[in-house]
Amino acid sequence: MNRFMLFIHKTGSPPWFYNFSGKLLPWTWGVFLVLLVAGLYLGLVKAPPDYLQGESARIMYIHVPSAYMSMMIYALMAVMGVIGLVWHVRMAEIMMISSAPIGAIFTAIALATGSLWGRPTWGTYWVWDARLTSELVLLFLYLGVIGLYAAYDEPRKAARAAALLALVGVVNLPIIHYSVTWWNTLHQPPSLTSEGSAIHPSMLVPLLIMVVAWKFFYISNLLVRTRLRLIEQDQRKRWVHHILSGADR
Amino acid sequence: MSHTPFIVGSYLIALVLLGWCALAPVLQSNKLKRFILSRQLFTEEKDASDS
Repeated sequence: MNRFMLFIHKTGSPPWFYNFSGKLLPWTWGVFLVLLVAGLYLGLVKAPPDYLQGESARIMYIHVPSAYMSMMIYALMAVMGVIGLVWHVRMAEIMMISSAPIGAIFTAIALATGSLWGRPTWGTYWVWDARLTSELVLLFLYLGVIGLYAAYDEPRKAARAAALLALVGVVNLPIIHYSVTWWNTLHQPPSLTSEGSAIHPSMLVPLLIMVVAWKFFYISNLLVRTRLRLIEQDQRKRWVHHILSGADR
Repeated sequence: MSHTPFIVGSYLIALVLLGWCALAPVLQSNKLKRFILSRQLFTEEKDASDS
């Protein structure tokens, strides 16, 4: 067995994951904080205002990374859902359901900040255009996954039902992504494509730093939430008592 | 139109939601750990008094 496969197998063990994630967490939170400070400084202090939108374009540094994370987390949830459904990997199920509230928060931030950006730019807080509506549907999908999981008493059954809903909802991701090109929307088309960027480096660099910072927030928060669910589900098991009463917390 | 309230509002919303998202599981985890440890202590004391 090579090192990678050994790592994957070890990750499936709750006590090993709990200890490993505990050692990893200070580093992931640390990287997040450093990137956050750098991104905010460059975005709010150093970057120039947009030539057309003025200062309101600074909302971009939280709106765009949040919208990006809202879709990325949902895609990851679907992948973890498939792993849980097909191979019955408990850790994948726990990580899937632990991701849902984080994804919902990022979606809510994307919607709220987009709305606040829309007012000075479009003259309105909300329009029922394809991008905004499909992003709102994504928030409802996240809430649906969380609600469906909470409706079951047995965590494994709950995770399977939630994974199925997460899988069905994946159809919404290409709709969100391509909505601005498929339909005539008030929302602008993407500025970052595989062919290049329409954003000046002075604004692009802080934006990319914030995207990476949000990723580290997700990793850190996911680890914390997964650890919580592990001790919640295994609270009567020996390893939890051993860890909680021992020195290796 | 001044853009400042919209920018400040956006960053405040993000700060509050992300702060709550980060803190809620930590507080929940601490509460659960305390509960498990107190239950463990109760069980040990009960076992000791029974024997």
